[in-house]
Amino acid sequence: MIDTLLGYYNQEPFRFLSAFGAILFLTLNIAAILTMSERKVAGYIQGRFGPNRVWPRGLLQPAADVVKLFTKENLSPRGSDLWIFLGAPIAMFIPAATIWLVVPFAPGLVIADLNIALLFFISITSIGALGVIMAGYGSRSNFSLLGALRGAGQLISYEVPLILSLLGITILSGSMSLVDVVDAQAGGFWNWYVWFQLPMFIAFYVAGIAEVKRIPFDLPEGESEIVGGFMVEYSGMTWALIQASEFALMGLMSAMGVTLFFGGWQPPFEFLDLGTFNWIWFGLKTALIMFTFLWIRWTLPRLRMDQLMDLGWKVLVPLTIVWLFVTAGVVLVFPSFFG
Amino acid sequence: MLEKERVVESAALGGRATDRLTNAYVRDEFGLETIDLNVGPQHPAMHGLLRLIVELDGETIVRCDPVMGYLHRCQEKIAENRMYPAVIPMTDRLDYFANMHMEHGYCLAVEDLMGLEIPPRADAIRVLMCELMRLASHMPSIGFLLLELGAFTPILYAFRERERIQSIFEAVTGARMMFHYIRIGGVKADLPEDIPEKIWEYIESLEANFERDFVDLIQGNEIFQTRTRGIGKVTQEEAIEMGLTGPPLRCTGVDFDIRIDYPYSWYSNVAFDVITDTEGDAEAAYRVRVGEIKQSIKIVKQVLEKLPEGAVMGDVPRRIRPSEGEGFGRVESPRGEFAVHVVSDGSDVPYRVHYRDPSFVNMQFLQEILPGHYLPDLMPIMGIVDPVSGGWDK
Amino acid sequence: MEVTLPQGDLEGRPERYLEGFQSRHGLEDAEVEGSVVRLVVEPRIVPAVLTTAREALGIKHLSFITVVDREGSFGLTYELLDLRGVTVRVKTTIEGEEPVIDTVTRIYPTANWHEREAYDMFGVAFKGHPDLRRVYMWQDHFDHHPLLKSFEISTKRTFEGLR
Repeated sequence: MIDTLLGYYNQEPFRFLSAFGAILFLTLNIAAILTMSERKVAGYIQGRFGPNRVWPRGLLQPAADVVKLFTKENLSPRGSDLWIFLGAPIAMFIPAATIWLVVPFAPGLVIADLNIALLFFISITSIGALGVIMAGYGSRSNFSLLGALRGAGQLISYEVPLILSLLGITILSGSMSLVDVVDAQAGGFWNWYVWFQLPMFIAFYVAGIAEVKRIPFDLPEGESEIVGGFMVEYSGMTWALIQASEFALMGLMSAMGVTLFFGGWQPPFEFLDLGTFNWIWFGLKTALIMFTFLWIRWTLPRLRMDQLMDLGWKVLVPLTIVWLFVTAGVVLVFPSFFG
Repeated sequence: MLEKERVVESAALGGRATDRLTNAYVRDEFGLETIDLNVGPQHPAMHGLLRLIVELDGETIVRCDPVMGYLHRCQEKIAENRMYPAVIPMTDRLDYFANMHMEHGYCLAVEDLMGLEIPPRADAIRVLMCELMRLASHMPSIGFLLLELGAFTPILYAFRERERIQSIFEAVTGARMMFHYIRIGGVKADLPEDIPEKIWEYIESLEANFERDFVDLIQGNEIFQTRTRGIGKVTQEEAIEMGLTGPPLRCTGVDFDIRIDYPYSWYSNVAFDVITDTEGDAEAAYRVRVGEIKQSIKIVKQVLEKLPEGAVMGDVPRRIRPSEGEGFGRVESPRGEFAVHVVSDGSDVPYRVHYRDPSFVNMQFLQEILPGHYLPDLMPIMGIVDPVSGGWDK
Repeated sequence: MEVTLPQGDLEGRPERYLEGFQSRHGLEDAEVEGSVVRLVVEPRIVPAVLTTAREALGIKHLSFITVVDREGSFGLTYELLDLRGVTVRVKTTIEGEEPVIDTVTRIYPTANWHEREAYDMFGVAFKGHPDLRRVYMWQDHFDHHPLLKSFEISTKRTFEGLR
């Protein structure tokens, strides 16, 4: 009986619908939890409590936020191009939600085991940049335009080191499928790619912060000069969707970093293997990286546009290219070490 | 750089300035134009209510015009209808980050007008309060500089320290912010019994923790350095020409400090250094403020050790009705030179009170120095001047 | 570009400045009180006197420009500091209801906004000022100059009976 039910369940369209539902649930929950954790972490760094009124100890704050944002009016400036204005949050949400399809959470627990998963990741991330430009242009405001142009420059520039940092992984694991990448890092934490690919990880991490537009790269949203930048004219649920997509993308970058460099769901020691419950290890590692994102946001000031571009093009790109050649060279010279 | 042709028709006397001031537009060979960005008056980072009409060519500022007056409260006009002691609460509200200095400047002007002698204990208490106020003003200045650069944390450390200083002020004067403490002829009341002890404890703890909170995390930060080094660089000549005083002037290397060059009150009895820096950019202004905090700590300690005994109010007539004449008072407020000119016509209200506020004069620097910088550089440059809205608008 | 401030003691410097002014402009009402050099001049030689102060005597800082409405004339005070203890106070009186005087912005660029404030509050027109606009009040529809004694605010009537 259960077998027949599971048999039904594994067919289309049930599989697609349940996957879709799981993705939305995951994405929105990550966004909600991240808003709360960001405020709590911010509070403790600044010597105060974060929100602590909503029971218990402030942990249900996202629920209060969601209720508030549902009841707010969705304004749009007069004369704004409404199709583009309202399509922008959707365009920003798509990469944040869709790329979770290829992330492996535990052995066998991946929604779509594409054998070009890395290529999928790279191509869908670019749609986020399109969303930023749509938001800034459709808002018909000088501030938004500035934010959009900054966003366009920044996001497109930092995709280059993001992509280049993945190429070393491709050489080492011999495949673009994320399941293969995680499987190749089996056998304890010494087999994780981060040790050999440390410069690539640094480039990926910095480019990840830039892709999510967080401090020190939050100039498109530059709160101190252009007050919200490309999203200054959004309010209510449209704004909530932009914020949710930003936080979900932040979770996604952490998850990708963990999958590619820290072994995904692999436990640090063999004897700690939990089988299908390895998603606990995945969750712990992703949470750690997300915490470092938050930590950096509340500590550092932001970079100016030209300094930001200098960092991307003049520091990260040469770093990744050089290390790519090093990786390729080492794999050629010592083929026994790296299968 | 692209060659630009500039067509400028300057405004006539008293022309309209709400829209474009000058009919200037920049067109280069691609036919590109500049955009006008209205930064403020509602803006989280404008140090108050300031409208900056900024003309941008891409991200480069081509022209900047500050439009002020959003907080203008007609203080000089109202002072002509208030009796001399009743003007003091209004001076509190001029530069509301340096209330003690504003009161002090006005009281010095009226005392100069009447030729009053201040008892030494009152002078010493005035200096003590002014230096504590300087601490309470410089730390948020540093915090605001970093807030606008994007680091949200130092401002909260600064306000934590400011809250502690404000609780000392509350114990001494009765109010956290608008003190009305420095009166004509002295101060309102003596320090409570246990206050010198509490101030001493606080200063020791500040001295121990100050480096950790405001210097270690900031000075060596690469992002802070790239954002502030070389931004708003100004030479000594230009600084004096533009009328800068206070930390913006001292960060270029001119060691002009009114406490030493035009001594007033009890400052001749305390020893301290004038902090200068040679660079003249935003990072230099930050370093000057950090140095001044350390000097203020030194001054507070010296005053607490040498506090003289005696009365706190001089021989002041009950009804303050000075004879005809004028009085001038000048103090070193945390933002620069604050001067008051009081003109009397023999009645018990002033005939004219004129405040020379440092924030007002230092804002000219903004107009001169901004063209050529990028838009995000607006923030460190405002951090050099650190104007306060109550100051420039009176 | 280094700026050299006056060296040496306070002694004798105010007298030297007074000497410098007297030798170039024949001033009747000029004296030294302590560390303040007080000059009373005609409105039309104010730019010349200030040029002497800046160029010949090295007094580099203009602290403020005050205007006092004496109901029939306007008294201006230019306060100059030589940044090492001596103050030079240049006072002048402009007769009449429509005050006009030459600008000193070319001599002391910081006077730009001080003169704008004087124009805004008193209606003093500075000839040759590069950008004479109002600084506090509305620029479009407000034709009054608030600090003139003829511009009454309502509280004055409240205090009338008390004095």
